[in-house]
Formats: sequence, C-alpha cells, structure tokens
Amino acid sequence: MRLFLFLIMCCIGLTARAEPVELTLPSKLVAKAEYRKGDLDKPAVILLHGFLQTHEFPTIHSLVEGISSTGRTVLAPTLTLGVTHRQQSLACEAIHTHTLKEVGREIDAWVKWLKVRHNGPIIVLGHSFGSVEVLAYLSGSPDPAITRFIGVSIIEARLKLNAAETAKLIGEMRHAVKSGEPRVVTHQFSFCRKYQATPVSLLSYLEWTPRRVLEASARLPLPSLFIMGGHDDRLGSGWVDKLKTHNRVKIIPGANHFMDGEHEFDLLDAVLEELKAS
Amino acid sequence: MKPQSIVHLAGLFLLAVAGFILLLGGYLWLEMERVSAEMRVREARSARTEVVEGLAEIERRAKSTAQALALWDETRQQLSFTEYYTLWRDDRVRDAGMVSDNVEGVALYDKQGHIVAPARPDRPMLASLPGQAPLALLQQKNGGSHFSIFLPVHADPDGRILLGYVGVKFNFAAELRRARAYQFADLAHLRVTLAEGSSVNLAQAIDHLLFSTRPNPDLAAFHDLFRASLVRLVIAILFLLFLAAWLLGRLLVRPLRAFSDEIDNLREPGGSLPRKPARAAPLAVLELENVRRSFNDYQVRLSELHSNLEQNSRDFYDQARRDALTGAFNRRAFDEDWKALGEDRRLGRVALLLFDCDHFKAINDTYGHQVGDRVIQTIAGDLHAALRAADRLYRLGGDEFATILPEADARRAEMVAERCIEHVLGQDFRQYGMSEPTTISIGIALSEGEGITLHELQKHADLAMYTAKRPGSRKLVFYSENMGGMAALVGNKEISAVFQAIENPDLIELHYQSVMRLPLATREYVEALTRIRFEGELIGPGAIFPIVQARNLDMEFDLAVLRALDRDLAQGRLPAGLGVSVNLSAPSIVNTKVVDALADLIHAYPGRKIVAEITETALITQIEIASSNIRRLREAGCLVALDDFGSGYSSLRYLASMPVDLVKFDISMVRLLDSGDRRQQLMMEEITRLVVTAGYQMVAEGVETRELLDKVISLGFSHAQGFYFDRPLAPA
Repeated sequence: MRLFLFLIMCCIGLTARAEPVELTLPSKLVAKAEYRKGDLDKPAVILLHGFLQTHEFPTIHSLVEGISSTGRTVLAPTLTLGVTHRQQSLACEAIHTHTLKEVGREIDAWVKWLKVRHNGPIIVLGHSFGSVEVLAYLSGSPDPAITRFIGVSIIEARLKLNAAETAKLIGEMRHAVKSGEPRVVTHQFSFCRKYQATPVSLLSYLEWTPRRVLEASARLPLPSLFIMGGHDDRLGSGWVDKLKTHNRVKIIPGANHFMDGEHEFDLLDAVLEELKAS
Repeated sequence: MKPQSIVHLAGLFLLAVAGFILLLGGYLWLEMERVSAEMRVREARSARTEVVEGLAEIERRAKSTAQALALWDETRQQLSFTEYYTLWRDDRVRDAGMVSDNVEGVALYDKQGHIVAPARPDRPMLASLPGQAPLALLQQKNGGSHFSIFLPVHADPDGRILLGYVGVKFNFAAELRRARAYQFADLAHLRVTLAEGSSVNLAQAIDHLLFSTRPNPDLAAFHDLFRASLVRLVIAILFLLFLAAWLLGRLLVRPLRAFSDEIDNLREPGGSLPRKPARAAPLAVLELENVRRSFNDYQVRLSELHSNLEQNSRDFYDQARRDALTGAFNRRAFDEDWKALGEDRRLGRVALLLFDCDHFKAINDTYGHQVGDRVIQTIAGDLHAALRAADRLYRLGGDEFATILPEADARRAEMVAERCIEHVLGQDFRQYGMSEPTTISIGIALSEGEGITLHELQKHADLAMYTAKRPGSRKLVFYSENMGGMAALVGNKEISAVFQAIENPDLIELHYQSVMRLPLATREYVEALTRIRFEGELIGPGAIFPIVQARNLDMEFDLAVLRALDRDLAQGRLPAGLGVSVNLSAPSIVNTKVVDALADLIHAYPGRKIVAEITETALITQIEIASSNIRRLREAGCLVALDDFGSGYSSLRYLASMPVDLVKFDISMVRLLDSGDRRQQLMMEEITRLVVTAGYQMVAEGVETRELLDKVISLGFSHAQGFYFDRPLAPA
C-alpha cells in the first residue's frame, strides 16, 4: 500500500501544479499559501501548520504532496501571525501580537478564497496546535463549506502549570489586557520556554486550555478524526485517552508528534482513508 | 712604463681587491637599503590594498547583516506594526542574534526614508536616509568614525513591494580591524580625516583614512641580519685578504724578492747564486722552487761554461800571445807588455835585451827549415833557461828574441846577457847535422830613469843589436851614444830611402874605389860602393845595409845596384876598359834573377872586366846553388871575388872548393899585418900562402900605408885597395 501510494505520488504529483498564492487580509497583511488545484468533484483540503510554523513544515508539506497526488485540491496557508508575507517560522522570542481570533479570521479568509476556486466541500486538517486553532475556528462560526475536520497530533496548550496556576496566569493576563500593562510578557507556552507576546495575544491562546479543547472537540458539528502518534512525547499524560473519550481517534503506532519517517505514509494512509469517507 | 716591484704590485692588487670588496659591500648595502625602501613602498601599497579589502569586507559583512535583517520576517512585522518597534530594535534584534554586539545601532525607515522611531541617544542613527538605498556611508560623528549600511526591505522576494529600509550602524575602526587579518596595515592608530558631521560613501573611504604600515618584522629581521652578515662577511673577506696577503708575501713575494736579490747579486763582480735557498721556507711554492732550482742549475752550468770559456779565452789569449814553435811569447804579447809599461810615458829603470841568431838565414837556407826551426827552438830553450822565471822571453821575428828586465841595471843586464850567450854556446848543434857553431848577438838598451821613451829604448836596443851583429863586433853590445850613426837602421828616413832606392835606382849613387894590380899598383878595376842620395843627403853603406839585411831586401837592393851600375856604364861615367866590381849579397848569389841581371850586364859591356864580390856567407849557406851560379857567371866572363874573407866562418873546406877567382881579405885580417903580433903575422902569411897555393888571387882591403902595401905585396897579394890609393869617389 505504501509503495502504491509512493508511486501514485511520484506519477500524479508531476501533473499537480504547485502554485504559491497570496491573500491580502483585511489587516493589509499579505498571507502566503501553497495551492494545489485538483478535481473539483472531490472535496478540497485545507492543511494548517502547527504553532508558529509555515506551510512548508515537513509534515504539512508531505501531506500536501500526498493528498494533492490523489487529485484533490489542496490549500496550505501560512498564517501571518502579524507578519506580512511571512515565510519563516516565527521564533518564540519574537514579539507576538497575533491572537487566536485573528488566526480564525485568516482561516476563514482562506476558506472563502478556496471556495471561490472550488465550490465543493472542504475538509480542514490541522497539525499539532494548528488543530487547536482549526478547532477554535470551527467552534465559532465556521464556513458551511467545511464538511470534515481532521486533527493530526492535536496538542493541548500546555503551560506546565497546574490548574490553579494556569488560572492565576490567565487572571493576570486578563488584568494586563485590561490595564494595558505590561505591554509585552514573556512566559513559557507550549514548546516555547520564553514565549514573548502581548497579554492579549498570550491570553487568547491561554484561554484554550486542554479542557476547552476536549470540550470543543466533543461539540464539533461535523465529522472529525484525530490521528495521533503512538509515541508522541509532546503530549501531556492521558491526553490521547481523554481525546478518545468523545472523539474518533486513530493511533499510528510508533509515530511521533511529527509523523516523520516511515510514519509519514501511515499518516497519509490514514488521512486519505478519512478523505474517502467524505 | 717603469717596471714596478712585486711588493708594490701585490700590494696594489690587494688594495684593489679590498677596495672592490668594500665597494661591493657598499653597493650591497645601498642595494639592501633600496630594496628595503621598495619593500616599504610595496608594504604601504599592500597595506592600502588590505585596507581596501577590509573596507569591502566590512561592507560585505554589513550588507550581510542588513540583508538578513531585511529578509527577516520580524523586520517586516515591525515595518507593518511599529507598536513594539523600540523593543524589537533594542532587544529582540540582538536577542535573536540578528546583529552582533559590534553593531552600534539598528534602525528601520519607512518608505520615505524617515526613521520609524527616534533612535536611542546612546545609539544615534540618521533620522533619514541621505540618499537612495542601498547605501554604505562612512561618518565622522561625535569624535568617532562609524559606518552605516542601509538596505531596502521588501515584502516579497522579488523586491516589488517596498516596505521600508533597514539601517545598521557599526564602529568603523573596530569593524575594519575585525574585517580581516592585516599583515601590512597597522590600524592601531587609524584616523579618519573626515570633518565632524560629514560622511562619505564607503567606496571612497580609503582616501580619507590615515594609517601606518605595520613594521615587517621579517623584513626588519632580514635587514638587520643582512647588515650584520654583510659586515661580518666584509670583515671576514678583509681578514682573508690580509691572510692571502700574508700568504702571498710568504709564498710568492718574499721568495721572489729573495730570488730577485740573488739574481741581482749576479750583477756584482764574482756574484753567484746560492746553490740552495737561504733557509728552508715552511711553505714553499713548488713552481718557484723549481724555477729557483732550474735557475741555480742553469747558473751552475753557466758558471761552468763561463769558466770553460774563461779557460778557453785564457788559452786562446795565451795561444794568441805564444809562439807556436818555441813556446815563447810572440810579437803581440811583446807589444802589449810594451804598452803596459807605458809607451808614451817616461820609463824608470828597465833593460831591454834583443837577441838575434847570427847567420840564421844562412843556416836555414843551408840545412833546411826543419833544422832552422830546431835551432830556433834550442836557442829559445837556452834563453828561457838563462832568464829568471819571471822574465818573459818574446820571439819578435824569425830569429829575433827579446826580453824586458824591469828594475835592471847594466850589470844585471850584462850578467843575464852573458848567461844567455853561454847557454847558447854550450849547446851542441851538431845533433842537427850542423858543422858550424851557432851564436847569438845581443843588443842591450838601458833606461836609468833619465826620461827616455819606450820607443827610444827600443830603438837603442835595435842599434846595439845591429852593432853586435857587425863582423868583428862583440856579441853583447850596450847601446852608446856613438851609435847614433847607425840610427838609420831604425830611422824612418833611411828606411824610406832604401825602399825608394829599390823602386827608383836613380837614387843610388855609386862611388868607385880603385883596386890596384900589384906589385905595380896599376888600377885594374874599381869597386862600386853604394850610397843613396835622399832628400839632399847622402846615406852611406853603414846605414843602408843593416836595413837591407834586417828587412831581407838583399836581392831587391842588389838588382837596384846593378841597374845603377848599368846606368853609370851606359852613361860612360867610368873610363872605357876599366873594370868594375859589384858586391852581391849572399841571397843574391843564389838568386836567378840577380844572376841573370849580372849576366845581362856582362853581355852588355863585353870589353869591360866585371867582378862579382860575394861574401863567404853565401858559400856557407847554399854552396851548391851558389857554386852553380858562380860557374855560370865565370863562364860568362865574370870574375868572382870572395869578399870579407876572414871576418866570418872561413873554412878550409870552403876555401878549397870555392869556385872564385879572387879572395878578398877582410880589412881586419889585413890589419893583422900591422898589429905587431908575430903569431898573427905568421898566421896571415900561412893563410895567404895557402890561398895562393890553392890558385886564387888575393885582394887586400884597407891598405892605407906604404908599409902595409909592401907587406901585402910580400905576401903575394895580387891586388890591393885602400885609402892609400884613393877614397871612394863619385864618377865625374
């Protein structure tokens, strides 16, 4: 099966044209994405990268290649995160002013951009924290064209704090947002040990606690699948189990958080299989 | 060009070499200085090139830094939302490692080139871009030099969407020093010559920089090493040169000078090369020693050759001055020794002895030259024996010898002369087949320091010797003043007269003396007596005949006399029918030409009685020829008279065999009749009786008195001659 997929990717991939595209957002920022136009009768797929990454992150890139090789239209945007024409991963220490809401608006903008070019159903796939961001967007007012959600290695926004401390930090951020001081804070967030952001920015992500993620996933109004690595060491203890409680979860044995190596094809198999279902 | 001493030449050569080395050293020194100066210029160029490259490097690095910033997403973030620009500028940029700590400042500018936010006071940045970016500026501000790079920031990779500009400021000097490793440029005291507040494009910055060239330690070390080495080399070469000079002096100059001195010594009389060097040199040049050895050998051979030549020369000299026959010194040696005495100076005491063998010519002619030579050798040996060892014996002519006795007086000279005579008389000449005794005549001339010359002394000896040879004379004769009449023998005038008379018989003046027929004393013929009229003077026979005999002119002179007689007869100076006698010398009677001439005269005057008077000497010597000629003359009608009988070596054998008609007794014999000595008278009587008995007619010479005439008549003389009758007179 893997060999078959590989051959398909090699042969058909040659026919799929990769096209970098840009999208000027209402904020005047220009967002960039890779667009692979496929069969219009097949659902298009939007692939969203992980936290502070770009669409060229290997996991996303291999999925773009794999999915587009099956003739599906694929759009892999890079979130601006407040940087016009952003094309690099944003450092943890950068001054982060972006918020999760703005991320949702950018996803929505890309959905609409895609809808102009593909009027069929759209499946959204997020990798790592990108799954959280997609989940946050879907929890709001998602575009109806989105018919399915696939979360790969969805991660809780861990603060390495207990609940009380997390609550306390959130409280402090809310106070800071209200008071306007300090203008920039530096705190551990996700895999960043020194995440430098405005309180608004940081608070927008902190408010999506693991519990909120689980709750949001459980309340999704569309079919969803969470594909998790059997050896994902970036996840908190019991996270996959908790996720399984209310969601369909597919475990790829031996795969890590980034599904790299030979598990790249396992991931693709899983994704393509899920796509067939739509 | 004057030759120079090898010391001077060697010294000059060494000085020239030393000068050349010093010049070479100086030239190398100057060349090193020139190379060093050129190296410094090159280093300065290299330093400038290094700084230019450093400027390019800092521009490249600055551009790289600025470019990284321009392409950094966060830079675009700040140009889009400037709310956190200062935080980003002051912290984030450095925390993210986008710029190094060496960056003095970072600033973003909007599309119009205005700075997004005022710069920090401690990190001032230009408020606006001074020109169109990209820009690289060198600024002089607040006493320091800085350079800034400004690049545009685009939103898209293609550079179509300009977002603004990024500027990065550096400490110029620090960056330039860091840009690269400088081998030549010394930027420790780098100074920018820009005016305060002004700026210039970085491309022109090199023209506004002052910096020094880093001292090249290698070059300096090499320079010092070269100079030290050059000095040491020159010192070493000069030392070697002095060593070479010393060696040259020891090996070449000194031996050569010594050799030259040795050769110079050869110029000195008696100088010669040493057979070996004066002392053995520890360092000797083989070739020079070979030359010295060869020269020594050559000199030895030359000396030997010279000695041989000297010996040969002495031999030749001696031979040239020796008489080969007798071993006595010859005429040449006599002349040289004579000159050595001082020919023209006044003599001191000296005796000159002249020896002459009596009748040697007759001996030679009679017994042959071999006997004559032996006689001469014997006489020479006798004279040698008689003389002292230091006295030299000279052979002056055929039978004439001489010796010189310095510091000898008359007594000693006479003693030597007598010893010589005795030695000769003591010799037995019969061993040579001779039957007659051989005697010598000695003429002695003395100089007692009275101031006579050598020439005069020689003349005196000649006169004495001729006197001694005269018949009846003592065989040892000292010169005396009364011999002046014989000076003609040696006088130039008389000799000249004799020679000219031979050439011109008209100079001969014949005087005639009567020969009387006894006992009636009638004039039967006259004897022609020879005189020579020369330069108005009449030269008598006493001067003529010694010269004739001494010069061996007998035959020539007799021919001249015969021509003179013929002249007188032809001219009728003698009475018709009067006979005439003529004297012929011994050499003439054996000479065909004389005999022929006399025969012609006889035939020319057939009626006139012609008498030929010959001396007994002629008969002694070559009696056969003489006898043959006499017979021929007698056959022609000529009478022959033996003249001067009794004055020589009269021999009864000769007397018995003489083909003569008349025997003419010498005056010394005739005067015996007046001597009063009875024995002599008896002897005379017996001789005359013997001659008469033999059939000869006798003629008495020197009859000067009647008494003597009577005596000769009584003895049977057929003819008489003398002053009693008449004196010799020239014909009328």
